[in-house]
Amino acid sequence: MSTTTTKIATQDIADSILDPVLTPSTAISINNVTVSFKTPKGAYTAVKEISLTVQKGEIVSLIGHSGCGKSTLMGTISGMVKPSQGEVIANGKRVAGPGPDRGIVFQNYSLLPWLSVYRNIYEAVDSALKDLSKAEKKELVERNLKTVHLWDHKDKLPGQLSGGMKQRVAIARAFAINPTILLLDEPFGALDALTKSNMHVELLKLWNLDNREKTIVMVTHDIEEAIFLSDRVVVMNDGPAATIKEIVSVPLARPRNKKDIVHDPVYMNTHDKLLNLLIDKFSIDDIKE
Amino acid sequence: MKAKAIKIGWSVVYFAAGMLLLLGMWDMVSRLTKGEIPSPIATWGTFKEVMTNPFQNDPDNKGIGIKLLSSLARVGIGFGLGSLIAIPLGFVLGSSRIAMNIINPIVQILRPVSPLAWFPLGLAIFQDSPKASIFMIFICSLWPTLINTSFGVSNIPQDHKNVGKAFGFSVWKYITKIMLPYSLPHIFTGLRLSIGVAWMVIVAGEMLSGGIGLGYFVWEEGFNGGSVGKILVAILIIGTVGLLLDRLFTGLQKRFTYVV
Repeated sequence: MSTTTTKIATQDIADSILDPVLTPSTAISINNVTVSFKTPKGAYTAVKEISLTVQKGEIVSLIGHSGCGKSTLMGTISGMVKPSQGEVIANGKRVAGPGPDRGIVFQNYSLLPWLSVYRNIYEAVDSALKDLSKAEKKELVERNLKTVHLWDHKDKLPGQLSGGMKQRVAIARAFAINPTILLLDEPFGALDALTKSNMHVELLKLWNLDNREKTIVMVTHDIEEAIFLSDRVVVMNDGPAATIKEIVSVPLARPRNKKDIVHDPVYMNTHDKLLNLLIDKFSIDDIKE
Repeated sequence: MKAKAIKIGWSVVYFAAGMLLLLGMWDMVSRLTKGEIPSPIATWGTFKEVMTNPFQNDPDNKGIGIKLLSSLARVGIGFGLGSLIAIPLGFVLGSSRIAMNIINPIVQILRPVSPLAWFPLGLAIFQDSPKASIFMIFICSLWPTLINTSFGVSNIPQDHKNVGKAFGFSVWKYITKIMLPYSLPHIFTGLRLSIGVAWMVIVAGEMLSGGIGLGYFVWEEGFNGGSVGKILVAILIIGTVGLLLDRLFTGLQKRFTYVV
């Protein structure tokens, strides 16, 4: 991708960081959101009074110990989870439920096992983009499948694909409805390290193809992944009633190169910082899991 | 490929062994009853006699094939109508807890009623015995399909529901692309149980209603006609057809089960 778009994108982000008030370039605004669930043992508060603003074109990771409510927080943006208190504004509108302006990639791919790869994407496009003609929908499916290099596998059922391929289908599906906001819930958690690494690059490629206009919020528990992909990393406290512990900026220039980046002092600093924020969790609780 | 051939070969061997065992026991019973129960060989003779001109269609003398087809037709109509009601109703019960709570007690009360008890009711309603036996088949093939369909639908994983929600599936798309395909294996289990019950019940129904069909054949030509051989032939035909029906639905069930 050209360097000019990079400059514009970073400039946008820089500007909006300086301006904390709601500007037209704000994609997501989480305002004082609390989510409580009713359980047999009484009310359980997953996240408490969280506020967060994400700019247009920004990639933000939510990171924290399992069960800290990061997926719940993400759910309030997608509209799958209703806040008990507070509100989420996405693209200038209050989130009342899922919508085609927000594409979701689920933790476990969530492909329909009885539909071919092609149909899985087509049905989503057909539902989310009702106004398009049939030919336009087909074109969209074809283009997105080719981008993730799965056109040759379009007639296979999800059960015949590897984990990485399934996740590429899920990502292609989310991109195909052309949402302005992309929500990824631990998208690469189930993949092996090599596949994961390739998927990171694929994701950024798709993001670049769209001139980096899509806003991406991603839930993860992988520090390296968070740094490589994100502009900001939101570290969350342990639940219940989880809050934001700290927001760490990743001031690494794009495009980022996986091999070079690890030797960059900025990368190492950020890595140390995040590790320190999470250290007790990453040593004790992971063993328990 | 070779392993599969060996597997099929063995299952043929097992099947043959089972049949030999059955024939052996049958022959023994025949000897013990001094021919009161005809031996397999004598029954084979009766079978060949019954099978001459199976599709002869004189009003007074209908062939066994015609009788079998008329039984199958009544089962088909009753079972078809029952399924047509049971599957959509199962969708409703499976997706709505309220509907389930209201309808479930009704199902629980009506389900254990012996199919034969419905026959006089059908007779009272339709004033026609073939229709009454169809009614009986209809009622008793409802329950397994209804229960299995609603079970399937109520167990749709949250993941699949989320897909519909996230991409804004219409109700129709949700039913055809998520609800139906997910519950299809359960529906076929229900249909398989239903067709089994229907096939069992038709014989009893036709004994009561008289006229045509395999049940009537067993009663009239077998018992009243004093030919135990014909009863045995009818039992074998009924059993074989029942097995084939079961196999058909097992096949369908397998065809529509997906690897997740």
